[in-house]
Amino acid sequence: MAERTPERLVRLLGMVAYLDRHPGVPVEDVAVHFAVSPEQVLQDVDTLWVSGTPGYWPDDLIDFDANSLESGVLRLTQSRGMTRAMRLGTREAVALVAALRALHESVADALEPAEREVIASTLEALTAATGEAAATVDVQLAVEAAPEVIAAARAALRERHRLRLRYVNASDAISERDVDPWALLTGDEHSYLQAWCHNVEGERLFRLDRILDARVLDEPAATRPGRVRDTTFSPSDAHERVTLELDGQARWVAEQFPVEETTDLSDGGFRVVLRVASPAWLEHLLLRLAPQLRSAEPATVVAGAAAAARRALDAYQGLEREAGPGGPAV
Amino acid sequence: MPLRHVITSARYRALACAVMSDALPPAERLLNLVIALVNTSGRMTKEQIRTSVAGYDREGSTEAFERMFERDKETLRELGVPIVTVHSAAHGDDAGYRVDLDAYALPPMELSAAQLGVLGLAAEFWQDQTLRADAARALTKLRVVGTTPAATDAVVGLAPRLHAAGPALGPLLDATHARQAVEFTYRAASTGEVLHRQVQPWRLIASRGGWYLVGLDTGRGAPRVFRLSRIVGDVAAVGAPGAFEVPPDVDPMAMLLDSQHGTTRLAWLAVVPDRAGALRSRAVEPGDEATPRPAPAGRDLVAVPYDRTGDLADEITGYTDAVLVLGPAELREEVVRRLREAAAMADRGPGAPGGTGG
Repeated sequence: MAERTPERLVRLLGMVAYLDRHPGVPVEDVAVHFAVSPEQVLQDVDTLWVSGTPGYWPDDLIDFDANSLESGVLRLTQSRGMTRAMRLGTREAVALVAALRALHESVADALEPAEREVIASTLEALTAATGEAAATVDVQLAVEAAPEVIAAARAALRERHRLRLRYVNASDAISERDVDPWALLTGDEHSYLQAWCHNVEGERLFRLDRILDARVLDEPAATRPGRVRDTTFSPSDAHERVTLELDGQARWVAEQFPVEETTDLSDGGFRVVLRVASPAWLEHLLLRLAPQLRSAEPATVVAGAAAAARRALDAYQGLEREAGPGGPAV
Repeated sequence: MPLRHVITSARYRALACAVMSDALPPAERLLNLVIALVNTSGRMTKEQIRTSVAGYDREGSTEAFERMFERDKETLRELGVPIVTVHSAAHGDDAGYRVDLDAYALPPMELSAAQLGVLGLAAEFWQDQTLRADAARALTKLRVVGTTPAATDAVVGLAPRLHAAGPALGPLLDATHARQAVEFTYRAASTGEVLHRQVQPWRLIASRGGWYLVGLDTGRGAPRVFRLSRIVGDVAAVGAPGAFEVPPDVDPMAMLLDSQHGTTRLAWLAVVPDRAGALRSRAVEPGDEATPRPAPAGRDLVAVPYDRTGDLADEITGYTDAVLVLGPAELREEVVRRLREAAAMADRGPGAPGGTGG
């Protein structure tokens, strides 16, 4: 996909100002610094040295030392006055400052003092440079885990050691697992430990508030961290395909889960197609959606959830009988 | 072919293109515009810009130039490069333009490798396309004053992520910052009824998987909390910027917590042994608070603090008969109501959607 104009413009201007401060930087290093490919850096150079002030005679143009460039080093010889770093736009400042503030306020307790200090000083520097732009947004991150669990996970991450977890999954089964921790994914709703699980020989996400106990083992972690991924479930063809028809009030289902298809119906309702990996998860979802659920395909998925609900209602009736008159009414 | 030759021919080709001003990519036209307006002694008139800055079509119509120049000014303003208009008596009504370097430049600052690493982490925070792009651009600007290479492991293993807020967030951010009123259509949570609202936006809050707008609902003359996911369609700014002040005594976060019935209560649950581990992990010692009644035989008594009845009722309903609510009664009624709806599900309709689509 072609790069958007604002991104390219900001990098072109940024590279000139950066190279003005750092004379003679290898193309590879500039690429790493700006997180683009070396080929992109060379394309940017091609653009920069035909750009300049009106007239566009050789002396009007941004220029680089050609001999250095031949040996793969960028040395700016003419900046045409573009030596200043650019101020952040309003939304740009909001985006970074709000994220830093959320980090600082919500996860600082789980950090080492030196790490806390880096976040605090970065926030301070950025706030000084951007003013009160970020006062429009507050972000609360949820780290609803036992402090001992976070401390153990962070220690294991730092020392690259294996971790033994006692974990309760969405189907309410408790298991003990040895994992190589890769990253702590902190979100606004839940936080997760991304890890390689040796019990299932695969990458897994563990919700922090479901980790009952975590202990750092003496063994070093054996696997290298993979790509940090989204905390949402990635469906595949191997999972059962379920179609739900719902009232408009259940619209959040289409927003919150990776649905395969959404079809709007003329009466405000809609139909979604989901891939489901865990029957327990689906049962939980159906129990939640009951008032808005019009129909489901295959129809059998509803029967299990409805039967479970009936068992629970029976249990409440038993509770009432036991309590006798004056007890909880159902 | 020697590298020098390749570079040189590329340069000549591009230079010819620039001088002829045909079909220069927008990023390169904007680059030349910024350089021209930073270097101008005093100001450039529109006519000077049109005829001398590379990328503008000097042969095209005035209307086409005006449209392009207005768009370019707007793009640059959004990037934090304000183009100031300079009126000069000597030049009659003809306005001139320049870029004010003080407004253009980041205040003097240096960022260490570790600080740049933390900013890289912060830029990964947003899932919304627009905010992601904003954060990435901000990072590009800050890299100019940063030390190479960024220390990516400045904060070991931490990867914060935030739910996407949807298309309403961008316009609301701008309006909140500009203190400009907004209009939108909003679906009430309780009834599903759709109503038109006009709001003075005070603050945006992301909390527990939801995005909220706190502001003055001008139609009702009272502060309100809106959930962004219930906004239907577009958010439109209305009226002038700077139209209101956020009252100094409001506490938007407290208002949000209030709207979520923010007082923490204790749920008394009778749980089947070894079940509901996630609920158990949040259990507390009840202290002085008296249990409404003992747990029935074969079940454990578990006390769990909560502040949103609906959320906990949803969670407990999912455990069906493994978790029974002993109290408070309000929570038990919510759970029982959900269970009744769920039990009735199987009786509803023909059981499957019609043969169309899906």
